[in-house]
Amino acid sequence: MARYGMVIDLNTCIGCNACTMACKAEHATPKGIFWAKVLEKEVGKFPAARRIFLPVLCNHCKNPICQEVCPTGATYKREDGIVLIDYDMCIGCRSCMEACPYGPRAFYESDGAYYPGERTAYEKSQQDFSEGVVMKCNFCVERVDQGLDPACVVTCVTECRVFGDLDDPQSEVARLVADKKARPLLPEKGLEPSVFYVGS
Amino acid sequence: MYGPAESEEWIHSVCDMCFAACGILARKKNGVLVKIEGDPNCPASEGHLCPKGQAGLIGVYDPSRVKAPLIRTNPQKGIGVDPRWQEISWETALEILTDKLTKVREKDPRGLVVSSFDQIAGSYFIRPAWAPAFGTPNSDWVGYFCGNYLHASMYLTNGSFHSDFDLDYCNYAILLGNQQGFMAGLNANVTARKMADARRRGMRVVTVDPVGTNAAAKADEWVPIRPGTDGAFILSLINVLLNELNCYDRDFLSRRTNAAYLVGEDGGYLKEGRDGKPLVWDLKSQGAVPFDEANIDPAIEGLFSAGGERCQPAFQVLKEHVRDYAPERVEPITTIPAANIRRIAKEFGAAARIGSTIVIDGEVLPYRPVAVNIYRGAGAHKHGTHTALAVQILNMIVGAYYVPGGHRGPNLVGPAGRWGPGATKEGLITPPSAIGHGARYYEFEERSPDDLGLHQLFPITTNRSPMYEINLTNPQDFSLPYKPELLIVCRRNLLMNNGNPEIIAAALKKIPFIVTFSTHLDEVAELADLVLPEAHYLERFDLFPNRPSHTMSPATGHFYWGLRQPVVEPLGQSRRWIDVLFEVADRMGFLGDVYKLMNVNLGLKEPYKLDPNQRYTMDQIYDCWTKSLFGPERGIEWFKKNGYHKVPRAVEEKYPGPFLKPRFPVYFENMLRAKKSVAKVAAQLGHPWDTSDYQPVPDWKPCPAYDAGKSPYDLFVVNFKIPFHSLSVTTQNPWLNDLAEHHPYAYKILINAETGKRKGIKDGEEIWVESVAGKVKGEAKLTECIHPEVVGIAGVFGSWAKGKPVARGKGVHFNSLLPVSLERVDPVSTGLDSCVRVKISRAA
Repeated sequence: MARYGMVIDLNTCIGCNACTMACKAEHATPKGIFWAKVLEKEVGKFPAARRIFLPVLCNHCKNPICQEVCPTGATYKREDGIVLIDYDMCIGCRSCMEACPYGPRAFYESDGAYYPGERTAYEKSQQDFSEGVVMKCNFCVERVDQGLDPACVVTCVTECRVFGDLDDPQSEVARLVADKKARPLLPEKGLEPSVFYVGS
Repeated sequence: MYGPAESEEWIHSVCDMCFAACGILARKKNGVLVKIEGDPNCPASEGHLCPKGQAGLIGVYDPSRVKAPLIRTNPQKGIGVDPRWQEISWETALEILTDKLTKVREKDPRGLVVSSFDQIAGSYFIRPAWAPAFGTPNSDWVGYFCGNYLHASMYLTNGSFHSDFDLDYCNYAILLGNQQGFMAGLNANVTARKMADARRRGMRVVTVDPVGTNAAAKADEWVPIRPGTDGAFILSLINVLLNELNCYDRDFLSRRTNAAYLVGEDGGYLKEGRDGKPLVWDLKSQGAVPFDEANIDPAIEGLFSAGGERCQPAFQVLKEHVRDYAPERVEPITTIPAANIRRIAKEFGAAARIGSTIVIDGEVLPYRPVAVNIYRGAGAHKHGTHTALAVQILNMIVGAYYVPGGHRGPNLVGPAGRWGPGATKEGLITPPSAIGHGARYYEFEERSPDDLGLHQLFPITTNRSPMYEINLTNPQDFSLPYKPELLIVCRRNLLMNNGNPEIIAAALKKIPFIVTFSTHLDEVAELADLVLPEAHYLERFDLFPNRPSHTMSPATGHFYWGLRQPVVEPLGQSRRWIDVLFEVADRMGFLGDVYKLMNVNLGLKEPYKLDPNQRYTMDQIYDCWTKSLFGPERGIEWFKKNGYHKVPRAVEEKYPGPFLKPRFPVYFENMLRAKKSVAKVAAQLGHPWDTSDYQPVPDWKPCPAYDAGKSPYDLFVVNFKIPFHSLSVTTQNPWLNDLAEHHPYAYKILINAETGKRKGIKDGEEIWVESVAGKVKGEAKLTECIHPEVVGIAGVFGSWAKGKPVARGKGVHFNSLLPVSLERVDPVSTGLDSCVRVKISRAA
């Protein structure tokens, strides 16, 4: 069985947010909710100052604390490591959001249509969630099950994201994790993310 | 979402969220458009797509779209004044439009003005065919900033429309006032990918910019610069290379440029006979001989005497001229430390590897892996032409021109010799008409201009758009023999993309009838008399959106032709504006003339030429066009099914430099003739005119803002680009707006943290920014990533039209701060100066 993971090269990310938009387009996420984001921070003082970019998404942890705290079992992990939410079982208690240190989850309260009033035909066709649930990146599970890469990986204009089987030593993600000092966010939390970063 | 669907189709089309025209695949599930992805088969996309392209999807569902023709019923026109639109039928609208155009044509066809930034319609149909057939020269009221100084300077120096460089081999790039390779500028998708690969293999990037942009964030060095002083920096680099480091490519200069051409004391070429060839000093025979004589060794330095006249090679003139730009003198002008100027010059010169070669595809080619790339931030100032020409000289003196790793213009040569540059009788490069404009800067017409752009008064230009506004505002200044009577606008926000909107609004109100083809009731439509519903790009049918002049990127390694075909049905009664104008031409009886001109301009060949007595659908026209270019097997149906026709570039098409005969000018002798010609035209107009910018060597001259730093207008304001918006086109997109609202910089006013603190302004506070032209309000963002003298406002935001409810009130409108006047226009290229002095104050 595969264990899916992703490696992102921070040297190459230019902070364009193509990933952010591709994710939104793929999943028809509601207004104000982004499953993939690019965080920004300034470092240094003028003139030795620059912005740094950190693309983030759900880390699909090996030890997902969200699953532990979920009272209904709505959050569950597949054998291949993808952590998913069953919207029918989610009661919107948001315990998962409190527990997760990374912040990829969002609570969809209501009225997420992008044009006030009516949802577009696209939103009606693509949205498989209702109001009152928590939602997050699902590693584009429907794409992955068809042998495709996640939308954020495919669209990235600088090709700084790689997706694959962490347990396959021949895969690029496994190699990068082994060779290139790839590191996850907040490793000290012990959640063992499947998303790694190289570069600075 | 990838579960079983009743029907699923993927349609090849082309994005239009910016000009790059990246190939896309549009996915429809059960007839509903649900995703757009980069087309893996398109050389520009290779399956990737930027945030704007991804967001295009939601725009097609916008309920604010104009769905039917509208006529104004309120005779009062003004910003914020309700036109009181009344819906009419297309037939009524066409009757009105035909009637108005007929009357204008009878009175004086030059009274018709067309303003559009729809590059495809403009360059294929309007400018070369429909407008001349109608009889008006006033069909290129386009942009004011990015292109004006740039394109003219590029045509003159590299024979092409645009500035690019070879990211496959470049090792050291200086980005001057642009973010090429960081999701900004032309062909952003492919250059981002190439730049990423180049940086992975160790290419060094230096960005010179007042703002710490996305490019500066990734660059190896950010050089903050005072706005409008880039020319001084470049001339100083040239000075250090030529006069301190003795680092320049003598071989390239003497054989491939006019560096060796002898100039006399008046600055003009010494010639063989009165109209003969320019002479050079042959070191072998110790005499002056024609430049193209065989087996000579031309001097590029020294002082000589020929035919009793004292003369020197043009390069000698340049070398002496740039001594004026010592780093110590340039430091207080630019705020760049002299030591950094010297170091960058040294790095650039060393990285150029003058004299080295590289083998590519079996050819031994000169290898000069450095480039300086100029675009809007540096060039869109008064005297911007000088800055652009200085940049081109810098690339030339190290020989980094159309060779691996160096500067280039796109598509100087076509596939299999289909097109190539020409040369003047002086041996200097002239552009192929295949890459647009057929620009000629060596012969000048000395007659009174009769177009709103005053072409004869500004010969060295690709468009003269700011002059349209200046002429409309003060028609008595140039006394054209007609008045503008009717304006047609499409995809050109004249209110938001010029200077202060009040200025252009007053000018537009003088035009008796304005027709806009609009997707939304935007800021221009608000001042129109007739609004016609224009098709969204996902509803459009446009052939060959990748134009060889600038959006068919050589970085792809291919020549490529694609098709934008409709992905969804047009909303309401939307129609493509070209289809409407063709129908009107038919009603007026000149469609046959349009076809004749199209036969020439589109290169239609028998048996596919358009018969002026027949009528064709656009589908049929496209079929003729595709088959003319690619033969009977590649008609329009092939393109609809397959998307892209691609031809890989041969080595001499990628790097034409060593294979060409025409030379590149490093000394602009033509400017002396232009100066005389322009002075004559101005005299004919009875208009005093300053021709001092027509010089054979560039200088840095301060733009109006430079010396205007008197209290209280003590800061500069500049505009900059962000990766997920493009012009005002994207502002009404709710996904991009959502992203911008969550972004730390997009909709804010950037102020240097130290400067803000000094002025008592807190991060997040509402402030006013005010210039002599206008004032804008917005949220202050204190940042380390901007020059202390500079305030930064991104994009074309701050929309106010009620018909754009997503865009309305979001962000800050930079252009409101810009004055528009003859004094603020680059006298050579007419580009409008894009920086101005401002004061900031707390709004509370």
